[in-house]
Amino acid sequence: MNAASRPADRDRDDGLDRGLDGGLVLDPDSELDDPVEGYVVALAGALRGPARVKARMIEEVRDGLAETVAAYTREGVPRERAARQAVREFGSPDELVPSCQRELTIAQARHTARAVVLTAPFLIACWYLVWSTDPGGEWMVPRTAQLLAVHLASVAGVGALLAAAGLAATGTLARWLPTPHRLPLAVAWAGTTASVAMAIATLALAIASLLATNWPLVALAGSLAAASHAAMAASARMCRQCARLPIRVGAAVAR
Amino acid sequence: MRADAVRGHLDGLLLAVLEAGPLHGYAIIAAVQQRSGGVLDLRTGTIYPALNRLERLGLLSSSWDSVGERRRRCYELTDAGRNSLANERTAWREFTAAIGSVLNPAPPPRPAT
Repeated sequence: MNAASRPADRDRDDGLDRGLDGGLVLDPDSELDDPVEGYVVALAGALRGPARVKARMIEEVRDGLAETVAAYTREGVPRERAARQAVREFGSPDELVPSCQRELTIAQARHTARAVVLTAPFLIACWYLVWSTDPGGEWMVPRTAQLLAVHLASVAGVGALLAAAGLAATGTLARWLPTPHRLPLAVAWAGTTASVAMAIATLALAIASLLATNWPLVALAGSLAAASHAAMAASARMCRQCARLPIRVGAAVAR
Repeated sequence: MRADAVRGHLDGLLLAVLEAGPLHGYAIIAAVQQRSGGVLDLRTGTIYPALNRLERLGLLSSSWDSVGERRRRCYELTDAGRNSLANERTAWREFTAAIGSVLNPAPPPRPAT
């Protein structure tokens, strides 16, 4: 499909057009006169994912286009025509976005899964810390706290197992097994669940710090749980956003 | 050759051109086009996510290479990548042999006189 021929619903902020079907259109009136830069901006605006991975992907695309333009200009083609030709050969953003987004979604899922795997044991350690500072169980609500701890630890354990499976399935295991399309969404919800567990742990540790004799240590654990919750919630939110983006099945090679 | 037909074999093509040594993105595209005599209709942009995926699978490794003020990502085959390339070649030979024997059947043996 010729991207330049689509009707436009102009977005002046990022110099992008989106067609009626949601497709990306390079804006002919954009302030970005350089077709290469316009293309890169259009692609970057359409992709979501971990900042570092996305930046690397965009840098590679920009470099690839620049090399193609340079190769044409060495053959005597005028710079502007060379840039247009390079962009045409590269494939439209619509052609490229599905496979790029699939990689970014998997990268984000792995990012979130790693966060779950690393923070779930920390959640269990927090509860152990609370108990060890109050071995006599003299809290005002010991039974409630005990039940909460068991449930949170179970949630954290299941979340960590799911996340570890997600990491394996999207890593070297993917050489032999196809990655299910819904896996990133499953990891996103595992991360969301872990983030909720962290929030409850933060609240419980804050209350426990009021009751515990060694309150500074418990308060510190609560602060760390709050920080973990913030990081986990942000990663899980981004993972949910990525996983919900439409990716044409078959547009990406299914591995 | 149509892009759809090429896409299914993109992994093998990328692994094959990297067999001789590390290359960056544009050099990989140039090598594929040169080796195919320009016959393969490949949207050049599609190789970048494919390279990312092959690296995630552990078939390639990559590092930044500075050229003047610019940085380029260079890709290299890993041992697993070499094994995968060997498997791709075997699978391709079997596939082309099977299709070839259907499209170009051997002439029936002449009846004995």
